[in-house]
Amino acid sequence: MSASMETIMDKLKVLAESAKYDVSCSTSGVQRKNNGDSDAIGSSAVAGICHTWSADGRCVSLLKVLFTNKCEYNCEYCVNRRDNDVPRASFEPEELARLTIEFYRRNYIEGLFISSAVERSPDYTAERILRAIQILRREYKFNGYIHAKIIPGTSPEILSDIGMEADRLSVNIEMPDSESLRLFAPQKKPKQIFNPMRQITNTLIERGSLNGPGRMFKGENINKASNMLGAGAITHTGDVNMPIRKHRDGKSFAPAGQTTQMIIGAGGESDAGILTTSENLYRTFKMKRVYYSAYVPVISSPVLPDISNAPPLKREHRIYQADWLLRFYGFTVSELFESQTENLDPDMDPKVAWAIRNLDRFPIEINRASYEELMRIPGIGDVSARRILRARKVGSVGFEEMKKMGVVMKRAKYFVLCRGRYYGDRDFLPETIRAAILGMESGLQTSMFDSNWKLLEEGAAQEKLSESGVI
Amino acid sequence: MDYLYDGTFEGMLTCIHLHYYKERATGIFNADAYQMNLLGNFFIVDTDEDKAAVVYNAVEEKIGHYTLRNAYKVFLSSVEDKEMRILRYLVKGFKVGPKINLMHGDDVVIGVTEIVQRINKEVERMIQFVRFSELEGGILYSRIEPDHDVLELLAGHFTDRYKNERIVIHDVTRMKALFAHGGKWYVVDMDEDIMISFAKEEKEYRELWRNYFDSIAIKERINPSCQRNFVPMRYRKHLVEFGSEM
Repeated sequence: MSASMETIMDKLKVLAESAKYDVSCSTSGVQRKNNGDSDAIGSSAVAGICHTWSADGRCVSLLKVLFTNKCEYNCEYCVNRRDNDVPRASFEPEELARLTIEFYRRNYIEGLFISSAVERSPDYTAERILRAIQILRREYKFNGYIHAKIIPGTSPEILSDIGMEADRLSVNIEMPDSESLRLFAPQKKPKQIFNPMRQITNTLIERGSLNGPGRMFKGENINKASNMLGAGAITHTGDVNMPIRKHRDGKSFAPAGQTTQMIIGAGGESDAGILTTSENLYRTFKMKRVYYSAYVPVISSPVLPDISNAPPLKREHRIYQADWLLRFYGFTVSELFESQTENLDPDMDPKVAWAIRNLDRFPIEINRASYEELMRIPGIGDVSARRILRARKVGSVGFEEMKKMGVVMKRAKYFVLCRGRYYGDRDFLPETIRAAILGMESGLQTSMFDSNWKLLEEGAAQEKLSESGVI
Repeated sequence: MDYLYDGTFEGMLTCIHLHYYKERATGIFNADAYQMNLLGNFFIVDTDEDKAAVVYNAVEEKIGHYTLRNAYKVFLSSVEDKEMRILRYLVKGFKVGPKINLMHGDDVVIGVTEIVQRINKEVERMIQFVRFSELEGGILYSRIEPDHDVLELLAGHFTDRYKNERIVIHDVTRMKALFAHGGKWYVVDMDEDIMISFAKEEKEYRELWRNYFDSIAIKERINPSCQRNFVPMRYRKHLVEFGSEM
C-alpha cells in the first residue's frame, strides 16, 4: 500500500470511529436522476438505499465520517471533548472528496454524511467542509447524496454556500431542553443552534421548497411569507398568505430538507417533554425529522448518568413510535399523554395505548371509515389503509381480505367491525383488550432487535433499522 | 393440452394466444424443462411474433400497462409454474378489465403479486449489493448471481447513475452481461470465466472499504442474526466487505 493510502487508512479509522454513534444514515427524501452532462455521476432514490449492514445490524448507506475530531469544545457527553485522550485526525478536503467518489463508483455508498468537531473555529472547519463538497460536486461532477451537519456558530454566508451543495442539512439540538444544554454543552448556546435552523427553514420557504414532516402539513401550502421565522424574515406588505415565487436559477438548496438530533437519557427529561420539543420543532421549523439517540455512555463525567447504567433502548424505541404517530398519523402530543402521565407506556405501542384509552371511538366499521379514521386503528398503516379504500370501490371488505391486505389482524381485530361483525374474542373492555394484546406481544418482545427487523422486513421499507430507534 | 415453448416471452404469449384460439391450455412449459407425460397431450409451439403482438397489445389496451409489467416480471422469475400464474392472471384481467389491480384479496392476483414482490425485492437487493471493481482502462466490472433473471430490471438505475462510466454487470449464473455507458445499455451473452485485470489502486480501495466497514460496528451491539436477515449469506460471495476477492 502506498504511503498516501496508508495516511488515508489511518485517518479513516479515527474519523469513522468517532462518527459511528451518529444516528441518521438515511438517504431518503430526494429523487434525482442523473440529468447532468454525460460526464456527471450519481443519482438519488427517494426511498433511500442501504448498501450493506454492519455487524451490529445497522444500515450502511453513506460514508459517515467526521471531517476532523480535533475539538475546541468540551461537551460532557461527547467522546471527542477536548479533555478526552483519544487519537486525533483531520481530512484534507481533496482526500475526503476522492475517497467519497471512489467508494461511490464501486457502489459501496449512496454518498457522504459529513459531520465534524470544531477545529480552531466553527467557520474554519465549515469552510474546509464546504471546500470538500465543492470539489465533489464540481470537479468530480458528483450527483449523489450529501448530508452536511452544520456546526453551531457557522456564519450565515458559509451555511448558505453549503446548503447549495448539500441535499440535507442538520443542526444538532443536542438536548431536549435548554437546561440540559447549559449543563452538558456549555459552549453551545441555544441561539447558536436556533439561528442556523431558522436560516435553513427561511431559505427553503423563500425558494418554495419546504416540505414539512411526514403528512403533518399535507395539502397545506407552507411556503408562504407568514411562515418565515423571526429576525431576517421577509416582511411582506401584501397578503401574508400569498405564495412565494420559486427561484428559477436551477439550483436547489438542501432539497431533502432539514433534520436534527437529540440525545435522550442523559438529563432528567420526561417522554412528554422530549416529544413536546419535537412537536415544536416540527410545527415551527417544519423540519423533516427529529432523530433520537439513546445516550451511549462512552465517557464518564460527574454530571452524567453512571457509565454502567445505560438508559433503556426500549424507551428510545417508544419515542420513535410516538414521533412517527405525530408525523404520519395525525396525532398530537397532548393526545398521547392525555391522562396526565409524563411517560409513554413502556409495555405497549403508543397507538394501541391511545386506542385503549379511547375505546368509546371503537369499534370502527371498516367499510365506512375515512382514511383518517383507518389510520387511527392499531394494526393499520398507510399502505393497508389505502388498500382498504381502493378495495372498497369494487366490493365490501371482510376479515380475510383485511388479512391479505397486510393488516395486522391480531391487533386490529379488537378495534374493528367487518361487515358489522366483531372478531375480537373477548369482552369489549379496556382491561381485557390490554391483557390480550400484552399477552400476545410478550413472546414477540424477547429481543428488541429481532422484533424490529421482523417489522422492517414485513413492511416499512423506508423505516430502516438505524432510523427505527434501535440504535 | 400442454403447450411447450422456447423460453422467450414472445413464445409464452404465443401459447396464451393458442389458449384462446386453438385449445385450452392445461399447462405451459419451457420445452427444455418439460417432463414428458405419456398420458397427456402436448404441443410444441413455434414462437409467432404476430400472435405474441396481438396478446401483448390486448393486455396493454384492455387491462393496462401495469398488468403487462407484472406479467413480465413474473416471467423473469425462476418460479416453476410461472406461466400458468401469468395465464390465470391475464384470463382474469381480460374478464374484469383494469379493475383487476384493485382486487388485492383475489387468489389469482395474489399468485402474481407475491412473485412481483419477490422480483422487486431482488432488484432492490441487487441495487444494494452490486459491487464494482475498477479494471485496467477504467471499466467498472461486477459479478452477480441473482435468484431470478433481473439483469435488465437493473439497467435503468445503473445506466442513469453511472452515465459517465463504462460499466459491466455480469450475471454469471445465466452467462450474460449488461453493458452501459453514456445513458445507453444492452445485454449480451458472456461466459462465466473471462480474463480481467484490476486497476492499480483497486486493491487499496477495497482494503479501505473493509476497514471502514469493520470500524463502524458498535462492538457492544453485535447481532449476526439481524445482519444475516438484511444481507443473506447467498449474496455475500460477491461483497467486498464480507471478504470477496472476486
